Amino acid sequence: MTSKELAPNTAAAVAKAGEYLTFRLDREEYGIDILKVQEIRGYEPPTRIAHAPLFVKGVFNLRGTIVPIVDLRLKFNCFKADYDASTVVIVLNLPRRVVAIVVDSVSDVLTLPPENLKPAPDIDTVIDGDAVIGLGSLKDRMLILLDIEKLMSSSGMALVSESVV
Amino acid sequence: MSDAQQQGSGAESDFDLTQFYQIFFEEAGENLDQMEQMLLSLNLQAADDEELNAIFRCAHSVKGGAATFGFADVAELTHQMESLLDRLRRHELQPNADMVDVLLASADVSRSLLARHQAGGGGEVPATEALVTRIRALASGVDGPAGTETNPELDQPELPPSTQGAAIKDSVDVGTPAPGVQRILTVSVGPLKSAAPAEAIRELFRDIPGLGTIDDLASDQEGIQKFTVRTSTATEELLDLFEFHVARDQVSITEVTNLVPESGPSGDAKADTGKADHAEARHFAAGKTDTNATGFGFFEGAPGAPDSAPVQAPVVPAPVVSVSKPMDKVAAPLAQVEAATIRVSISKVDQLINLVGELVITQAMLAQNSRALDAADYQKMLAGLADLDRNTRDLQESVMSIRMIPMSVVFSRFPRMLRDLASKLGKKVDFVTFGESTELDKGLVEKITDPLTHLVRNSCDHGVEMPDERRRAGKPETGTITLSAAHQGGSIVIEVRDDGRGMSREKILSKARQRGLDVSDQMTDAEVWQLIFAPGFSTAEVVTDVSGRGVGMDVVKRNIAALNGTVEIDSTEGYGMRVSVRLPLTLAIMDGMSVGVGKEVYMLPLSSVIESFQVKADALNTVGQGGQLVKVRDEYMPVVELERVFQIPRQDRDRPSDIMVVIEAEGSRVALLVDDLLGQQQVVVKNLESNYRKIPNVSGATILGDGKVALILDTGALVRRSRH
Repeated sequence: MTSKELAPNTAAAVAKAGEYLTFRLDREEYGIDILKVQEIRGYEPPTRIAHAPLFVKGVFNLRGTIVPIVDLRLKFNCFKADYDASTVVIVLNLPRRVVAIVVDSVSDVLTLPPENLKPAPDIDTVIDGDAVIGLGSLKDRMLILLDIEKLMSSSGMALVSESVV
Repeated sequence: MSDAQQQGSGAESDFDLTQFYQIFFEEAGENLDQMEQMLLSLNLQAADDEELNAIFRCAHSVKGGAATFGFADVAELTHQMESLLDRLRRHELQPNADMVDVLLASADVSRSLLARHQAGGGGEVPATEALVTRIRALASGVDGPAGTETNPELDQPELPPSTQGAAIKDSVDVGTPAPGVQRILTVSVGPLKSAAPAEAIRELFRDIPGLGTIDDLASDQEGIQKFTVRTSTATEELLDLFEFHVARDQVSITEVTNLVPESGPSGDAKADTGKADHAEARHFAAGKTDTNATGFGFFEGAPGAPDSAPVQAPVVPAPVVSVSKPMDKVAAPLAQVEAATIRVSISKVDQLINLVGELVITQAMLAQNSRALDAADYQKMLAGLADLDRNTRDLQESVMSIRMIPMSVVFSRFPRMLRDLASKLGKKVDFVTFGESTELDKGLVEKITDPLTHLVRNSCDHGVEMPDERRRAGKPETGTITLSAAHQGGSIVIEVRDDGRGMSREKILSKARQRGLDVSDQMTDAEVWQLIFAPGFSTAEVVTDVSGRGVGMDVVKRNIAALNGTVEIDSTEGYGMRVSVRLPLTLAIMDGMSVGVGKEVYMLPLSSVIESFQVKADALNTVGQGGQLVKVRDEYMPVVELERVFQIPRQDRDRPSDIMVVIEAEGSRVALLVDDLLGQQQVVVKNLESNYRKIPNVSGATILGDGKVALILDTGALVRRSRH
């Protein structure tokens, strides 16, 4: 147990040291817990779902499983969201559900030691709730660390039925 | 105990339990295994409450099952285990190694007993008496932690020989047995004409827990049956019990005051009594109930008794060993309950089905792509693909069959229900079933039970007449309700048929008019019968507590429709009625019809598709500038534009939709406006909600041959949508 875990639990979860998968949305760089990532694949047009929010691109067939796909670029109001050969889909394996997110590109997997972790800034963003759990600082790069599970199950993501939430 | 088994099923002769035996044996075996593991890992010093509870639950489940199926011996033994465990989990007793040992031994014996029942009741009967008394002693808390304290009231084989011998002898000498003291009696019954009463007495000892044990003795007189009984029950009580089966004057009970003169060496009688008794107890434990033994046949080796004493002597300080050891010996050959089946979680099976579904899609893709190949150049590859085709189909079929269970699981609940119902209503009903072995998907079986129950109740309540009414109509007093299941093509058809009064066309029509439904005398019979599916419709003259409140048929129809099934009714007034339920074989696979709108493909359950036709623009009428109606023959039908419902994007150059697909759900019809009919195919139904939320008007999703996802339309929701 680290002292961090023993500290009184404030509203937001705190980023822990560990391995992060980093990806780009426009010019921003994000990091998510590598253990939540199931696989990375190319983008194929999914089956559109009527009445779904714009950023829910639809559902696609992942070896027999029907997986919804969310374009994080649309969700985070990125300037543009093109689909080309380099567009990447990250399939996330969250407790009890599999969902996929579309990002511009995947950079690398980084091990973040505690000293490179900074608390989440107190700023207004389009990112729902307490999904930003910290910042990772690496020389000239800044990583926005996301609690991807919290983000994907937030009501704003419209992936989970209201009755379940 | 085959007799016990027969009793269990004989008491309810029209209800066959035997089909559940296998399940019970499997579950009991699992429970016992589980219990054994938990017992072994139990920390005696600090037993976890949860563990004790879990062990208790295992014993309890086995007991419950055994009692239900009439395996009295297993039920009795596990009942004792349960009592002990109950006290343990309530912290009234502190668990000790003794208890664990005896519980393990009991589990072994239970297993042997079960194995014996499973094999049809033949073979040796593993004795439980010694264990039962041992557990009782432990449960009563009398026993000291080491288990060496003697309890003279109980026949414990591990008692030091002299003590026990004295105990028996004392009680016998006194003549009036102290309550609870184990005595050995010779009971002779007869003269009897048949062996049945004697057998009944034997059964008494089997069925009444704690009564004692009984063994046959050879009788020198014709028609007289002799037994050796070891019991703690008073002679008077025994006579009372026997009186149910044989007249009191035909029974004589004598106490065996001294074992020795009858059997073994004459010298050193008192000391040997205990040893002999000890040996005998072991004998019981070993389960060798030699029914033809003359006298105390097991004492034939009595001269060797002193020899065996040294062997037993070291056992005394650790008494349980002497109990459990012979058990193990018996248990080993018998306890091999055949594992002819394995229990696998449904999710694993579903995953397998998913993967096979994928394989089928891949295979279809390969087959499609290879069609363009030159048969001469790629002969080998094409042959391989043909094999692949066949193998995947076979594989798919066998994988799907894993989920299939026979209809008998559903059917078996009806005889009892009908019997109760018929006697309540004062009717006479025969129940006949056909096709119980017809297999159906597990998920469907669970969901079809309630609608079928309703139909069968209806047949009994409304269909079959009272006996005198039937007589007047020239029919046999006893009505017949037939339940049958059969495969027809890709579906299963379940029929509920009765030879009762049938339905009256006039009555239904007049009732429908009363309720303000739009009916005419020109309606066909089939249309009239469909009226009874309208909500709140009942023509029963008397509302009974069984049925007739008018809730029911509509629910039945809705439930069956939800399973992509259909209901048909056929009836002739005065001759009976037949309800046929047609269901797909499985929920996981559905016959679908794919339709195209714009660039998107949607799947319709074929079971709800009535017809499709091309429509001319002038056939569409609007109502209040909104809802559209299309005239199909003489009927105006609401139109549902899929394009609008699903906000399907369109390019200008797309031609407008001009194909109507008439679907029926929940008793109403609507016409769906689509662009194309793409084809019919079997599709694997996938749940959308496992990873996403519920989508309006969509019931699920499937994967098309090209690997793309197509949404399956919820016809019920589309029909409801058109209503408001």
